[in-house]
Amino acid sequence: MTEKRTNQSIAFDKEKNFVSAVIYVYNDEERIGEFLQKINTVLRTNFENYQIICVNDASEDNSLAVIREIGKTITGTVINVVNMSFYQGVELSMNAGIDLSIGDFVFEFDNLVMDYGADLMMEVYNRCLSGFDIVNAAPKKCGHKSSRLFYRVFNRYSHNPHPLRTENFRILSRRAINRVHSVSRTIPYRKAVYANCGLKIATIVYNNDLSCLKAYGKETRYQRKEMAADSLILFTNVAYKMTILAAVFMMIATFGIGIYTLFSYVFEDVVSGYTSMMLVIVFGFFGVFVILAVIIKYLSMLMELVFSKQKYTIESVETLSE
Amino acid sequence: MIWDKIIIGAGLYGLYAAKTCGDRGERVLVLEWEESPFQRATYINQARVHMGYHYPRSYATAIKSAHYFNRFVKDYDFCIHQEFDQIYATSDSFSWTNREQFTKFCKAADIPCEELVPEKYFNKGLCDGAYRTREYTYDAGILGHYFVDELKRKINVEMKYGVRIQAIEKQGKHFAVILENGETFETGFLLNATYGSTNQILDLAGIEPFKIKYELCEIILCKPQQQLLDVGITVMDGPFFSVMPFGKTGYHSLTAVAFTPHMSSFDSLPQFKCQEKSEGYCSPRQLGNCNDCQVRPQSAWPYMSTMAEKYLKADYSFSYAGSLFSMKPILKASEVDDSRPTVVRKASENPTFVSVLSGKINTVYDLDEVLKND
Repeated sequence: MTEKRTNQSIAFDKEKNFVSAVIYVYNDEERIGEFLQKINTVLRTNFENYQIICVNDASEDNSLAVIREIGKTITGTVINVVNMSFYQGVELSMNAGIDLSIGDFVFEFDNLVMDYGADLMMEVYNRCLSGFDIVNAAPKKCGHKSSRLFYRVFNRYSHNPHPLRTENFRILSRRAINRVHSVSRTIPYRKAVYANCGLKIATIVYNNDLSCLKAYGKETRYQRKEMAADSLILFTNVAYKMTILAAVFMMIATFGIGIYTLFSYVFEDVVSGYTSMMLVIVFGFFGVFVILAVIIKYLSMLMELVFSKQKYTIESVETLSE
Repeated sequence: MIWDKIIIGAGLYGLYAAKTCGDRGERVLVLEWEESPFQRATYINQARVHMGYHYPRSYATAIKSAHYFNRFVKDYDFCIHQEFDQIYATSDSFSWTNREQFTKFCKAADIPCEELVPEKYFNKGLCDGAYRTREYTYDAGILGHYFVDELKRKINVEMKYGVRIQAIEKQGKHFAVILENGETFETGFLLNATYGSTNQILDLAGIEPFKIKYELCEIILCKPQQQLLDVGITVMDGPFFSVMPFGKTGYHSLTAVAFTPHMSSFDSLPQFKCQEKSEGYCSPRQLGNCNDCQVRPQSAWPYMSTMAEKYLKADYSFSYAGSLFSMKPILKASEVDDSRPTVVRKASENPTFVSVLSGKINTVYDLDEVLKND
């Protein structure tokens, strides 16, 4: 009897806050259907008003059709779709989705791997209400060796108050979104900007099932590598340190060679060896090229930040309703 | 007796035509499905007297709107509300236009706009440009009374409400409009001024339909708080919103592009799922009035208000008062430039069959040309 009553009170006592869920979709026709259903059930049960924004990153498979199909089964104008003009990767796409969202709180789902129980969403939401502007849900085990390495390097060289790690989804308060946008106009790597935004952040670690892990496609892998390089340069001083180190080392080396040359010129018969000369030249050029490479990377990033007016390019926004 | 003109639809376009022809002494009959005039599109929309600001992607529509603006305001000044600041703004993201483009556009279309600081009205970072413009709103109630009074005085104009048309037949040099109750009216000039039902009338007459899609739209009426009282706000033009005075009613209308249309139909005759549940009240052959329908959609107030709140500073607040629903036909050719041309199409001559499809109130003068008798 009592249990029934509590159930009823849960059913009628829904959260008054408007929540948005932003989901990144890229060639996910197999997962998106079930994922949407699950998310929708959680939101419908717990919130009076909510919206689900699917950001379709120019999927080449039937993802969009599946979303439209699901849209028909969900009553009300719950589902919005942002169609990106062409493949732009998870970061820019998610930014677009978040810009469109109107909720007081926004869930971010970067991928459709649901290796957690659906109730974790509410746990994350409730933690957010307890005074954290950003709450992450992070899996205990991370399958990708490359991402572990990336985070280790990143955290070592960035002066972030919150070390980064693999996360599955998170919730943001509207206040956090506003803060993040006032900190920087373009947000090339959300996680790093979030960690730096100065608001309170919490992370809930859950026990995950590694078998759910998703293998990335070729394009995504490339994008992630680019992303990793960009964010290491932007948010850490690892590249700067490397260049300075290389430059100083080269300076010392060049100086040493100079002294040696002078010394041999004065005190020894000049029998300059072809091989050693070449070695010096090759080595010198190698150093110069390393520095050049880093400078070029910096410049290209600056170019992008300064000249591209549009943060991302969308093709259309559609609202699905029953 | 043969009527000089029969007009189907007692919205603004229908009654304007009736008055114009009635003034010339022609015998005019107006047939209306509803029990009174101005029950649908003329009443249920944003009540904007367009100056063209809305169409930064269609200079042609903009220039035409601006052209008719002054004439409409002069002719119907008694129903026009102009004592408010109409603010237009370009959203920072998702807009198909931006600050520079909008300024350039206003200059090209020769419509006044004074640039403001967006932060006066909007939360930081959401709009890149804001402008005070000159645009008014009309009161459909007052306008309707005016036309009814005017037409009552004319013995050569007759209004028939609650009309159920069964068939429209071409008989030699005349069209015969046959009602369900057996009454028949004949005319050499039939004007189809029904907006949402335009293809249904064309279907009855066996004439090729307009290429349109239908949207079941919701206009929310809300009560503005102090600061918003004398302000109208339109954030253009992607999935954005508008909250502006609704004629002289004291209410503001609230719409949001993403949430105003509740359902769409791409069929030639409007087909919606809810029609099955309406128990015959509404069908692809005859649209009911959604406001009187028992299965009208749930209000999108939570969405529209949350969207507006995201943009607007907290001072400019408002509360829910009610919802109005109406059917909007949109020309498929307008999807890209978002233009709203007024289409006046003559399907046959002698007997003459003319259809008019317009999304704006002040292009009503486009009818003058076709109503001429020469």
